Amino acid sequence: MSWLGIILTFSLVDNVVLSRMLGICPCVGAPRGMKSALGVGAATALLMSVSALAGWMIQSLVLDPLGVGFLRTPAFVLSVACLAWILEALARRTAPDLLRAAGFPVAGIALNCAALGAALLVVKGGFGALGSLVAGLSAGAGFFIVTVLLSAIRDRLEVEKVPEPLRGLPLHLISAGLLAFAFVAFDRAFLARMLHGW
Amino acid sequence: MKSRSLARRGILNGNPVAMVLVGLCPAAAVTTRVIDALWMSVGVFSVLLLTRVCLSLLSLLRDGESAGPSADLRGGEGAPRIRWLGALLIASCLTASFELVLLAFAPEESASLGIYAPLIAVNCIVLDRVEPAAGGKHIPTALLDACGLGLGFAFALLLIAAVREVLGAGTITLFPAGTFGGTIEIPGLSSAPARALGYAGGGLICLGYLAGLSRLLRRRPVPAAEEAGTA
Amino acid sequence: MAEPRPLAVSPAPHVVGLVSSLRLTWTVAGCLLPAAAWGVFLFRVPALEVLGVAAGSALLAELLTSIFTRRVTLGDGSAFVTGLLIGLLMPPGAPLYVPAAASAFAILVVKQTFGGLGRNWMNPTAAGVVFALISWTGGMSQWLPVPGSAEGSAAVAPLEALRAAYAAGARPAGPLAVLSTQGYAWSGLDGRVLGWVNDHLLSWTGMVLPRGTFDLLIGNTAGRIGELSVPLLLLGAAWLLGRSVIRWQVPVAFLSVFCAASIVFGGLPLGRGWFAGGLYFQLFSGSIVLGAFFLATDTVTSPLTDPGRLIYGASLGVLLFFLRYFGALGDGVPLAIVLGNCLVPLIDRLTVLRGRARHREAA
Repeated sequence: MSWLGIILTFSLVDNVVLSRMLGICPCVGAPRGMKSALGVGAATALLMSVSALAGWMIQSLVLDPLGVGFLRTPAFVLSVACLAWILEALARRTAPDLLRAAGFPVAGIALNCAALGAALLVVKGGFGALGSLVAGLSAGAGFFIVTVLLSAIRDRLEVEKVPEPLRGLPLHLISAGLLAFAFVAFDRAFLARMLHGW
Repeated sequence: MKSRSLARRGILNGNPVAMVLVGLCPAAAVTTRVIDALWMSVGVFSVLLLTRVCLSLLSLLRDGESAGPSADLRGGEGAPRIRWLGALLIASCLTASFELVLLAFAPEESASLGIYAPLIAVNCIVLDRVEPAAGGKHIPTALLDACGLGLGFAFALLLIAAVREVLGAGTITLFPAGTFGGTIEIPGLSSAPARALGYAGGGLICLGYLAGLSRLLRRRPVPAAEEAGTA
Repeated sequence: MAEPRPLAVSPAPHVVGLVSSLRLTWTVAGCLLPAAAWGVFLFRVPALEVLGVAAGSALLAELLTSIFTRRVTLGDGSAFVTGLLIGLLMPPGAPLYVPAAASAFAILVVKQTFGGLGRNWMNPTAAGVVFALISWTGGMSQWLPVPGSAEGSAAVAPLEALRAAYAAGARPAGPLAVLSTQGYAWSGLDGRVLGWVNDHLLSWTGMVLPRGTFDLLIGNTAGRIGELSVPLLLLGAAWLLGRSVIRWQVPVAFLSVFCAASIVFGGLPLGRGWFAGGLYFQLFSGSIVLGAFFLATDTVTSPLTDPGRLIYGASLGVLLFFLRYFGALGDGVPLAIVLGNCLVPLIDRLTVLRGRARHREAA
């Protein structure tokens, strides 16, 4: 698959949140406000990219040569957790205010499916090292876009008089669902024609 | 703490899919067919149960006594990283075992669940309480709590799957048995189902309504005894 | 459809607006009638059925929610307009459950779930049509032939026929030329009018209007019920603009950006190079005029400020360009609008006065 193909597929066509339904937790559960959305979005996107690359490394350098493919889940899960740990330590050292703005502990991010999902998806795609990194970055970019859009929508919902049982999480999920329907516009046929023309 | 109220709390009030943000990720993605949701529920249930048992056992071995305040993982501060990594290790190994079992006994299902089977390991409800769970390290109580949680999860998942498959594909896919191919076609709907429900958007919208419904049901007045018994 | 959105800061416009919004929505309905009438004139009973079912389903859905909210809102006309528009965006041969489900989805999920009129962030009409497009792609392509076409000819909307021709590899000069080589059945009236125009008016310029130009102009082709007659739609739109029911920023930005992109880049996907894209065909086929003046101008789901509206219109133009020239689902207009709606809260956040934004964050 060409570079443009990888970028478009992982960011739009198979968007991690809106098509694969991973990473809903930070997307919808992050504290209110554009600042925290930007923080959570960027942090998770970064984690996703690094996890994707790490996943490729583990798969091709450790699991495949040793023939222990069944150890993929524990290996990936632990690597994602360690990467999140490192990321949080780095963030604490370099941009503590960003961490505070993000609101909730970055450790929570390690649990979210987005990073692990990105690693699994990228490995499934079977790209090389650079391809895996690009795919991970695109997935992260797609996640970031969705987080920002949803944050603006949530801000708007905050000031409207919505039905009480639906206030908050239910409406955020339904909004994400409507967003997902919108993104169906970017489907495989669209991708094929973007890459190869008619 | 009454064990029965714990279990009941798990099924309705503590329903993870609807009430808290935990466990959302794999849920909607595999609810396009009832059988996928069934297998996912089995996976989550077993991993949840066994993880909880392992953690309780470890706590017992380590401290030898019971009771400590339960700290939610979201708080972060209460759980030392090592203990948390250990829990992740246990959960992911159990998930890997489940994947292997699936591959051995239902390979088409394994392909169907795809990347969502490994994701059970980071499903938040599995790791929700790394610290001594509600009920302390008393194993039967931990088991009951896990059962309630797991059953609630399964119920929610199957509900969404039923709606999505019936309206979105006009079928109900179950286990093939004998001459029964495994797929029940619903007359009328199966010729022109609302395929949009089979897409991710449909799943998210169903999830949203389920969350709203659960919140609506939760507003019903709870008997005083249960109120006192709930942590 | 044109309803001032309640703001956290000042509730006053909402109260004043509610009274005048009644007249506004019925005005919009009135301005849609000429185009609707043309569609019914062409396709007779099936078109009437589709419109009736769409509007009826919308009203029924609104009634259903009235039971829950204990407040009957049918009189404000917005449900009727939503239903009517959904019907106008349906092909006349669509099985009746398609407009019914689309309207129900639009009112129940997209509008009422969020609190009703003025509180939704996605255009219910566009979302309902997208829902139908995703769910019943076949049902949304059930075209009917116009009266006077040859017996036995299968009716296909021009845009869809063009796409099929491109997919099959046809590459001559322009869309109308492609369709002619494919043997698209333009009407006899078109042939006669163009023949006369080409012989008597244009012979001295050497320019020849291709077959289909007249049919597209008056809307005498297969297509969705309400999208066909661009002149009648423009008439209704002009009335709405003149009465200040809708504002000019969104449609003008939308159409100009789309036209510019179409002219400059339109030939690229087909390998014809720069500045080789057509415009006439794109504007007169599909629901772009209907979408630009009646869907994109919905006050509730478009930005609050004028610069915001221009940005929104421009983004719609860009999105529609990509979806028309590369996309697959329908003619791209409802999808572009739904995608644009997703951007509106963000656009608002960036363009609304700083003070208001700061007020919201402090709250």
